[in-house]
Amino acid sequence: MITRKHLDRRTFLRGVGTAVSLPFLDAMVPAFAAPGAARPPLRMAFVYVPNGIDMRNWNPAYEGPLGELPRILKSLEPFKDDILLLGNLTHNTGRALLDGAGDHGRCCGSYLTGVHVKKSTSDIRNGVSMDQLVAREAGRATRFPSLELGLEDARQSGDCDSGYSCAYTNNLAWRSETQPLPPVLNPRDLFERLFGDGADLSPEARARNARYRRSVLDFVTEDTKKLESGLGATDRRKLDEYLSSIREVERQIEKAESDNQQIDPHMPKPYGVPADFAEHYRLMTNMMTIAFQADLTRVMTFLVTHEGTSRAYREIGISDGHHPLTHHRNNPDMMEKVAQINTYHVQQFAAWVEKLKAVKEGDGTLLDHSMIVYGAGLSDGNRHLHEDLPTVIAGKARGTIKTGRRVVYRRETPMCNLFLSMMDRMGARMEHFGDATGKLEGLDLA
Amino acid sequence: MGSPLRTIPWLIAACALARAATGPTFDSAVGPVLAKTCTPCHNASLASGAMDIAPFTQADSLKLNREGWDIILERLRAREMPPAGVPHPAALDAAIQYLTAEFDKADRSVKPDPGRVTARRLNRTEYTNTIRDLLAVEFRAEKSFPTDDLGDGFDNIADVLTISPVLMEKYLAAAQQIAARAVAADPLPKPLKIEFAAKDKKIRRVDLSTIEAEGRIDFDGEYTVRIGLPGERAPDAKPVTLGFWIDGRLLATKQVETKPSGLVYFSPYSEEEMRLFLPEGDHVFRAAFIGDDFVRGMAPADAYSSKKNKFLDSITLLGPFAPKDPPPSRAKIFLCDPSAGSACVDRILANLAHHAWRRPVTKAEVASLGRFVALAKANGQDTAHGIELALEAMLVSPDFLFRIEHDPNPADGAPHPVSDVELASRLSYFLWSSMPDDALMAVAEAGKLHDPAVLDAQVKRMMADPKSSALAGNFAGQWLELRSLNAIKPDPQKFPQWNSELRDAMKQETSLFFDYILRQNRPMGEFLDARYTFLNEPLAKYYGIAGVQGPEFRKVDLTTEERGGILSQASVLTVSSYPTRTSVVIRGKFILDNILGSPPPPPPPDVPQLDEASVGATASLRQQMEKHRADPMCATCHNKMDPLGFGLENYDAIGRWRTMDGRFPVDATGVLPNGKAFATPGEMRAAMRSQLPEFARCVTEKMMTYALGRGIAPNDRRTVDAITRRLAAQQYPFQTLIYEIVHSLPFQSRRGEPVSTLAAPRPKEIALR
Repeated sequence: MITRKHLDRRTFLRGVGTAVSLPFLDAMVPAFAAPGAARPPLRMAFVYVPNGIDMRNWNPAYEGPLGELPRILKSLEPFKDDILLLGNLTHNTGRALLDGAGDHGRCCGSYLTGVHVKKSTSDIRNGVSMDQLVAREAGRATRFPSLELGLEDARQSGDCDSGYSCAYTNNLAWRSETQPLPPVLNPRDLFERLFGDGADLSPEARARNARYRRSVLDFVTEDTKKLESGLGATDRRKLDEYLSSIREVERQIEKAESDNQQIDPHMPKPYGVPADFAEHYRLMTNMMTIAFQADLTRVMTFLVTHEGTSRAYREIGISDGHHPLTHHRNNPDMMEKVAQINTYHVQQFAAWVEKLKAVKEGDGTLLDHSMIVYGAGLSDGNRHLHEDLPTVIAGKARGTIKTGRRVVYRRETPMCNLFLSMMDRMGARMEHFGDATGKLEGLDLA
Repeated sequence: MGSPLRTIPWLIAACALARAATGPTFDSAVGPVLAKTCTPCHNASLASGAMDIAPFTQADSLKLNREGWDIILERLRAREMPPAGVPHPAALDAAIQYLTAEFDKADRSVKPDPGRVTARRLNRTEYTNTIRDLLAVEFRAEKSFPTDDLGDGFDNIADVLTISPVLMEKYLAAAQQIAARAVAADPLPKPLKIEFAAKDKKIRRVDLSTIEAEGRIDFDGEYTVRIGLPGERAPDAKPVTLGFWIDGRLLATKQVETKPSGLVYFSPYSEEEMRLFLPEGDHVFRAAFIGDDFVRGMAPADAYSSKKNKFLDSITLLGPFAPKDPPPSRAKIFLCDPSAGSACVDRILANLAHHAWRRPVTKAEVASLGRFVALAKANGQDTAHGIELALEAMLVSPDFLFRIEHDPNPADGAPHPVSDVELASRLSYFLWSSMPDDALMAVAEAGKLHDPAVLDAQVKRMMADPKSSALAGNFAGQWLELRSLNAIKPDPQKFPQWNSELRDAMKQETSLFFDYILRQNRPMGEFLDARYTFLNEPLAKYYGIAGVQGPEFRKVDLTTEERGGILSQASVLTVSSYPTRTSVVIRGKFILDNILGSPPPPPPPDVPQLDEASVGATASLRQQMEKHRADPMCATCHNKMDPLGFGLENYDAIGRWRTMDGRFPVDATGVLPNGKAFATPGEMRAAMRSQLPEFARCVTEKMMTYALGRGIAPNDRRTVDAITRRLAAQQYPFQTLIYEIVHSLPFQSRRGEPVSTLAAPRPKEIALR
């Protein structure tokens, strides 16, 4: 392959200095692996699956210590001691509340924001998502305040759901009420973002590049400020988005310079998007693991596929689209296929949990220092129910979550209560969030 | 709801209503019809179609619930209500007339409002095209930038085009890369060889005479493209045409002998070479023998035997080599020799900024760009590198990435014409999805573009330009949901004949069809029932149409009832199907959404969906659907959707003609929302003609949305009405729609944003209760 390696003009957002070897799935994490090193930080991630879950095969018949896991969760059996199953958490803001149809659009839009999103196909209005509130705090320490990832490309024509903009179903993370953060889908994009494009520059060329980039950013910042003064409120809002993104990129450059390390992920650079779902999932979660391990970020959201997706899972012999299947009106054949898709999704997730558990750091594993929520914005996809949302937390959150149990809360307990408790653990302490009525009790109690 | 601005005109309108005492009144013209014809079903207890007419029985409902009334009027005018079986009272027409007149009167007293478009970021297509026209550099934004979100069905809606930090990183990286490619200040590296060969599993065999490979080209430049051709054919075999494509675009062809060379080889093998310019980026390379009849019907074992066939086996690229001529981008940038001095450098920078920012630039702006040249020099690099850096900054600037328009007073809601220069960009991004060219810019900067004759001349010129095919790609691609074709994956078990070639051909057909109607200014009715289409050999065979040979598309006259108009094109039929089967519901909804402009409300949750398993096994699809519609909750909407979908049941889920659906004969009888019945797709098309006004209105609204970059709001009603009236008067010539939109108030004007009235566009779906 002809590469640009020997040319010195192509780098941007690359680390400065020597490459640090980071053997994947090994105990050699520079920051936190060595005995006596700083205590590993807490990491948080969300894995979102669309169109609800076949709840008959999700909820165990018992509460308390986890015994045999139901069919969909079966693949998490080996990690039973590392997961906490939560019942009866509700997202009331995802419900119609006089806005009519569009549960798919709403439930994804509101999932992490706790805001009843504005019903509009073009005037999008949501809230700041909790992962971004966390990123503002916990993200200060890392190169990327947060990473947004996904597996399915956005819809390119037609409408997404009943008068709701596709922005609500294409994105989980919202930086402001009007600025969604689109997930990165292509493994190669993620690779280059995290580890660079392989350009091997002399220190002088690197320094010169940094000077150039800074002057370009200064120029456009100045330019934008001049421009803004003559504009109306809505146009100014757009340019503010632009400026805040510029500032974020500047921060990343500074961070890359100061942490002075280039990470060698010990994996080949992926070429593009694999056709195989499991392979795509595996590639992305491999890199997500490294991103946590190397402390490139502490906050991630992973939008597996979109609400309303008609993806057919031929990998497991299902030719019908996912969303049409979930409107099964209790047809056993269709319900079976939904359960199979749900199971398949959890299997991929379990493989990621396994990887996180295999990474030793400090006095435990990467999984021990994480809380990874696996969930959906609907429980019953057939009836579009927003209560008893399927929710699993993997990881002990540095000992602040007691795993190996199922806890069923009072009906209609706001999901936002869980979010308040998670934000608290991540150092983003808030009094209120969404429709929370308080913190979620019992995460750390037996 | 009622912003102060909107309420005042309503008060005036209400007074006007009150004064009209001599003629018919609400109580004399409308009240009795409502009571007799509507109330029996649309009352509080039955509320058929979730609609209770009670709130509409008082005269003041005309001003209090205008949007509800608009929907009612639409149903009445389209003769959807009263439904078949309920008598159509003579007084109904008088009521419609009265209501129309009252609303017209009310609308006339409302001050025209052009609405407001937010500063619009270039979307991926616009970015790609703008870079092409600005610098003659091929950069494919859709391969590197995140997918733009859709609003109102289009990806150029200002409010949903946001900038995230990830996109900003991409913008910065793209600007750096594009500037470097355009200036081409660095020498090319030593040529290298990339080989994609069957033995390394680096090629994909698309069919017996087509191979494909994916790879990355890191430098613009010339490359030697070598195709490996093992084997030989029979002594009487004819030469074939070898073609080489990049990303679906045919770059070169060459005649190739296939008969034995006469030389004795143990293993015959030959190579063909072409020298081609290849642009930087990720590409799909394809090599094929075009129209290769020799392999037809050949078993794969024979087709890949070097004794029996000459076939394609590898693609090798060797390069980059410096092109004989300097890249065209350099001609665009270097108007003079920058080593001649700072006057030339300034000229270069001013010219670039003028084009990149699509507006005149000031001396101060040029001076501030000049600092990049100084910076490069301070870092030991030459002027060309400085210009490269300045170009990079221009491409990241909001002046490039956004289309920003100015109000004299941003807080003043009074309409004012956009400047000529702003109008030039509106026009070029509408017709070309790209920046204005020099001719358009010159007219605009001379202050003449608002002159209607000058504007028309520019529209005419621009439509004749090949760049206006952007309308087919971007407008039609989204209006008819053709872009979804790439995401649709028909079940390979049920549809083994589906492949990407066929898919691309389907898309091409509709795209060429749209382009033809536009360029030839055909009547819009031909979208519904044209007696011609555009086919190449594979697609013609697929349709069962004889006499079309070769891979090129051409206009073909249709002689049977099987095809005609967009609703018989495989592209549309496929995007409106499930992966495993057709869906009368999706197809019916597609027609209501995109053809008749009367989108059905979404289904309530918990509605039973079709019992898939029993379709074709125990009951025909129609029997299943009819059972479904027996449920009154489903009936209102499905009575409208399903009969439309049934009219297309002669086409399977990938658009093939059929007369049997599994074990059951196809029954394509159905009825339009206006009551016209049909029994075949041909009759359906003829019947659709009767809904030409609805179709024209639908397309007008969609195209206005696309042209303006915002959703259609109530204040646009007057514009839409006027346009559709003029279209009807001329029998719907398609170009008239373009001219009308370009001349319309919302396209030519804008207004500021009074701080107190941040009126948001209202959602499309309006609950009637």
